[in-house]
Amino acid sequence: MTARLTKVFRETFNDNSIELQDETTAKDIMEWDSLNHIVLVFAVEREFGLSLNAAEIGSLENVGEMLNLLMTKATR
Amino acid sequence: MTTQEELSMAGEFDCALDAAKCAISRQEDKEAFRILKEISDPNSDFVSQSRITKVFASLDCGLLDLKPIRIALLASTTVDHFADLLRFWLALEGFAASIWIAPYDTVAATVLDEGSKLYTLRPDITWLFLTYRDVRIRSNPNNAVSIGKSIDDLVFEYKKLWNKIQSNLHCVVIHNNADVPAEDAFGNFARQVAWTRRNVLHRYNLALGDAAHAGVVIFDIDHIASTLGRSRWTDWRYWYHSKHPCSLEAHGALAFRSARLISSIRGQAKKCLVVDLDNTLWGGVIGDDGLSGIGLGNDAAGEPFLDFQRYLLALKERGIILAVCSKNDESIAKEPFQAHPDMRLRLSDIAVFQANWENKVDNIREISRMLNVGLNAMVFVDDNPAERGLVRQLLPMVAVPDLPEDPSRYVQAIDSHCYFETIAFSTEDRDRANYYGGNAARTELLASFSEMNDYLKSLEMVSAQGNTDPFNLPRMAQLINKSNQFHLTGTRFSESELRDRSAQPNFAVRYFKLADKFGDNGLISVVVLDASNKQLIVETWVMSCRVLGRTMEEFICNDMIEIARRRGCTSILGRYVPSGKNKLVAQLYERLGFSLVAADQGTTTWQLTLKRGLDKLNTFVAPTDQFEQASLKHV
Repeated sequence: MTARLTKVFRETFNDNSIELQDETTAKDIMEWDSLNHIVLVFAVEREFGLSLNAAEIGSLENVGEMLNLLMTKATR
Repeated sequence: MTTQEELSMAGEFDCALDAAKCAISRQEDKEAFRILKEISDPNSDFVSQSRITKVFASLDCGLLDLKPIRIALLASTTVDHFADLLRFWLALEGFAASIWIAPYDTVAATVLDEGSKLYTLRPDITWLFLTYRDVRIRSNPNNAVSIGKSIDDLVFEYKKLWNKIQSNLHCVVIHNNADVPAEDAFGNFARQVAWTRRNVLHRYNLALGDAAHAGVVIFDIDHIASTLGRSRWTDWRYWYHSKHPCSLEAHGALAFRSARLISSIRGQAKKCLVVDLDNTLWGGVIGDDGLSGIGLGNDAAGEPFLDFQRYLLALKERGIILAVCSKNDESIAKEPFQAHPDMRLRLSDIAVFQANWENKVDNIREISRMLNVGLNAMVFVDDNPAERGLVRQLLPMVAVPDLPEDPSRYVQAIDSHCYFETIAFSTEDRDRANYYGGNAARTELLASFSEMNDYLKSLEMVSAQGNTDPFNLPRMAQLINKSNQFHLTGTRFSESELRDRSAQPNFAVRYFKLADKFGDNGLISVVVLDASNKQLIVETWVMSCRVLGRTMEEFICNDMIEIARRRGCTSILGRYVPSGKNKLVAQLYERLGFSLVAADQGTTTWQLTLKRGLDKLNTFVAPTDQFEQASLKHV
């Protein structure tokens, strides 16, 4: 799952050097601002076949939280 | 589509994107742009479009031969993602867009504050990017009586904003209408109760459309919402989370249609549709199946072709020129037009009919030449993929849409490309297809005359000329902004700029119309003359290429001489500024007897000294006083 998430990050930020850790936050990836966050969430939704609610979209501030949520909600 | 197919398509997409990135690293930005263009699809998902946009953002736009355009986006929603996609889609239309987004939800304030950045930015387009949420009219039974007035008041408020913008800026205003939401408390019955949200928003949209005057374009997002489907258009999550105007999935289609609209505002819409015959206008092959054997008529196989013809006829009636390009014997190809009872298109609807066995590339070139319509203003519709491929390869500037195998989807396939967007409709537009029809007849006549002069004389041309008036102003501005080939200086004017020019006493802004025995060509030329000094300066001179080589240029030059003399000028000064498309007129002033006085980086300046006894130029166009009578005769 981390590998797939890494792929989504790399595609979204157009940067093949990205390596994800649980602690990785928006601060660690230069391009990860509030606008790109939306593109990222959208790409995650598509890759893992889930639909986050409006509050969840905003709460995913680091990779660990994202993985936790994916564990429970991912359908593929 | 199976998952397998999806995966392989995703793989191809990734490969193409990687290829584009590689091209950029080799500094082959044009090649990268070509690849991005190839994989772009307005209806593809938001993630793919965002990824293309990201790669596009790393391109050096300076290397792509794009024309700059400045856009101010004033929105009450988050439009950053929309702007990113719009930049890309505008690049595909040939524009390098710089988009300024006004601070969130300050639409009216930005317009009303003359100190706001809007007014220092001086954009080409000011866009009031609104949604139905901005239509703050209470819809409840207590309001039933006053709703009409509330709608009028709101539209009037917007009208004031448009006027404010246009009295300070020379720009086109785009204004979104209301995207009527699917949900309504009344459900089905909503249409029968005056004050329901659905009815209020529809009435508002009608009122807004009526109120829009020249220079204001209503962007019909309600239509886009219904085309996509309102459930696809809406995604409440991204409204609550980040105040996006519509679903992210709808952003691509929205940006694509915006780019087409803006392209049309800049005079780049398509003007001519070239259509094949066999299996395109009718089912089967006329040369093989014969008149009674082709599929055209009232059965499931023939009806789609009837409807396709109806669609083409509707295009023609709004001013799109139709031409035929078919591999056929001409007499056989024309048979259905003349003798098939179910045929909707008649020969008179077709401006140029090219049916022969030569290749289609040459034929399309010939159609372009005969109509004086640029190849980049043409759309070629053919059911045969090989023919499409040939034209795409050899004439890349011609738009060649893919056609589905099933004719029942022809109309949809062509319509979805939004080739023929427009921002105005005049009687000239309506009659244009007929003008061109007459024009093609003229060219054929030309071949039968050995003496050019005899031919011109036989045309019995008469011209009406005059100064700017409110009636002709829209067409004058349209002509200046659409003309590329016969355009000496490449200047562009909005309607309001043109009006300003003509109001200044030193300027003369003149139009010319031309009628001949084949019909009325309408308003075909505009000149902007500056008589501030002893020299009359030709600031702008455009002419429709339809009337090229008919001694209209000489007629116009005579008019300029007349004006120069009346204003006490001793010479006329004309400039030629090369634009890449106006080579046609590089030697115009020389031909008219001007002398070269300066040349700088391709720009040449020409002077005509108004000596005593200077002869008027020879022309076969007769002046205005005979016009009324002659044009009546010609109608």
